[in-house]
Amino acid sequence: MNVNVVIVGHIDHGKSTLIGRLLYDSETLPEGRMAEVQKLIEEYKKRFEFAYFLDSYEEELKEERTIDTTRILFKGKNYYTVVDVPGHRQFIKNMLSGASHAQVGILVVSAPNGVEEQTKRHSFLLHMLGIRQIVVAVNKMDLMDYAEDAFKKVSRDTLQLLSSLGYRDVRSVPVSALEGDNVYKRSQKMEWYQGPTLIEVLDEIQPEEVTEKHLRFVVQDNYTVDSQNVVVGRVESGRLRRGDRMIFQPSGVTATIGSIMVFPGEVNEAGAGDAVGVLAGAELPRGNVGGHLDSPPIPTDVFLGEVVLLEGSLKQGDEYEIKCGTRRTKGTVKQIRERISSETGEVLGHNVDAIGENEAATIVFATEPLVVEKFSEIPELGRFVLVRSGKNVGAGVVLDTHA
Amino acid sequence: MLDLKDLENRSIYIVREAYAEFKRPAVLWSVGKDSTTMLWLCRKAFFGKVPFPVIHIDTGYKFKQMYEFRDRIAAEWGLDLRVARNEQAQKEGVSPQTGKMECCTRLKTEALRSFVEENDFDALILAIRRDEHGIRAKERYFSPRDENFKWDYKDQPLEMWDQFQGLVTQGTHMRVHPILHWRELDVWEYIKAEGIPVNPMYFARNGKRYRSLGCEPCTAPIDSNAATIDGIVEELRNTKIAERSGRAQDKENAFTMQKLRALGYM
Repeated sequence: MNVNVVIVGHIDHGKSTLIGRLLYDSETLPEGRMAEVQKLIEEYKKRFEFAYFLDSYEEELKEERTIDTTRILFKGKNYYTVVDVPGHRQFIKNMLSGASHAQVGILVVSAPNGVEEQTKRHSFLLHMLGIRQIVVAVNKMDLMDYAEDAFKKVSRDTLQLLSSLGYRDVRSVPVSALEGDNVYKRSQKMEWYQGPTLIEVLDEIQPEEVTEKHLRFVVQDNYTVDSQNVVVGRVESGRLRRGDRMIFQPSGVTATIGSIMVFPGEVNEAGAGDAVGVLAGAELPRGNVGGHLDSPPIPTDVFLGEVVLLEGSLKQGDEYEIKCGTRRTKGTVKQIRERISSETGEVLGHNVDAIGENEAATIVFATEPLVVEKFSEIPELGRFVLVRSGKNVGAGVVLDTHA
Repeated sequence: MLDLKDLENRSIYIVREAYAEFKRPAVLWSVGKDSTTMLWLCRKAFFGKVPFPVIHIDTGYKFKQMYEFRDRIAAEWGLDLRVARNEQAQKEGVSPQTGKMECCTRLKTEALRSFVEENDFDALILAIRRDEHGIRAKERYFSPRDENFKWDYKDQPLEMWDQFQGLVTQGTHMRVHPILHWRELDVWEYIKAEGIPVNPMYFARNGKRYRSLGCEPCTAPIDSNAATIDGIVEELRNTKIAERSGRAQDKENAFTMQKLRALGYM
């Protein structure tokens, strides 16, 4: 099983160091990498840091902070794709780019510092992204003489924060990424802790149960193959079978699926994630969403979303492009219901006129006909980005498919 | 092992997104295993025929076997092959001896840049992978390059949930990286499963094989007895040696790759 893990937390709480330690202790580093880093730290007159296995921009080394997200792979009982993200407020855009595909989050909290601004913001954002499994790593225990009290205090504060976002039964592990305690190897210095090491927690992760959902097929394009029109796209949820009767929205076209084409042949059915071509007897414009006649996709012209804004400000009446699935439509900010702190998740005001950069909000959007689904039901069509002047400036999830 | 079907599906989805979003895309083919796999994925995405030009940047320093392999596959797959060269720099005798950074920049980056400008391509599909190099690990699937061919690596687009930012303005282009999430081992497992043809230089002869192919003066073989695809898969499962260990341009200085790539290198 491959597990996508994102490591989040406040700047300098030791995210990159933790991953560097995992790589080092799991013997995943390629031969010679240690020597490369040694050479580098001599040249730049730096002290050795495990983070240097990851931070590969020159600026990251010089400034001793992670700027952009990095992915690395290592093997425990599972295969892990570990995503490192920057902890600085300025780089939330990069943090979200890294975190959006994660299944599990490791929240790193420094024992001497406790919960700080990005600890809270990252927790809120993981919650918003729908990442259900979180593990807390209380780091830098070496600086606290490995004292149980220090762990308990920070652990309690962090679990309380997570609990306010709806996370229950979260594991918390006392670690020292720098010294290697309870990361990959069991610590000899914290006998008071009987729980699993961080790698043991990761190795215990079970795949989330997949419930069979309604079929949703998003149309990417139409190609002419052997003088036939092939509609290409991806099954986002449910199952598509040859012979299925389908309706595509917002075009409103119904069609019977003649063939499901996967070069160089055909298949009888396709499941979630499959990129296929179908013969539908008609050309279907990009952006359409197909479903079965008895559980059809329903286009809407107004929906409620929860958005985090990453660039500029957003005002009532503003126009954006909304991109959901492969459809791009015009959308207007009809009402900003709640302005939300992306740090605490707290509601800062109701029916406000505007929100600023790095703030969140629940917003009613008026759009051209668009198929969206509740994020809690079909996440693949329950998430969208806001585009302005061609740039992705915000991201959101659908709370309700009407206002 | 990562699920090959998942990897393939995602890559095909990304290629099709690029084809839908951009007017004049092209795919880069170094004739190595990754970009040959990329072409294979393009053939699958478009039901047998790659619908855009295939660019090979010819530094003049490639191995003889690479040219042979290129011409054979181009004919077999009916590719619209275009060869890009920096004739001026080749005439001037630019070579690795005069500096690797300059050599790569002039013979590869500048050759590509002129070719992209002449043909007005707005998207280049490339087969780079995150696990090849730390600097490639920072990449996006859709990664813009400005009018000067530069990569603004400090301010990359928000890219969530396969919602790629497709903005290209006049004179700029997009780098599209459909196999960014594959590992070296996945590529070989996929080559094996699909029967994709690869250059015989990857297979060991007399205890040596090429693990990564580039220009002849800057590419060294590794010690290996892997003479078959199965052998290579087995070797990669156990090796601790970095894939690009035989590639000189990565080694000159710790940040050479970052500097090369900021200027528009692949």
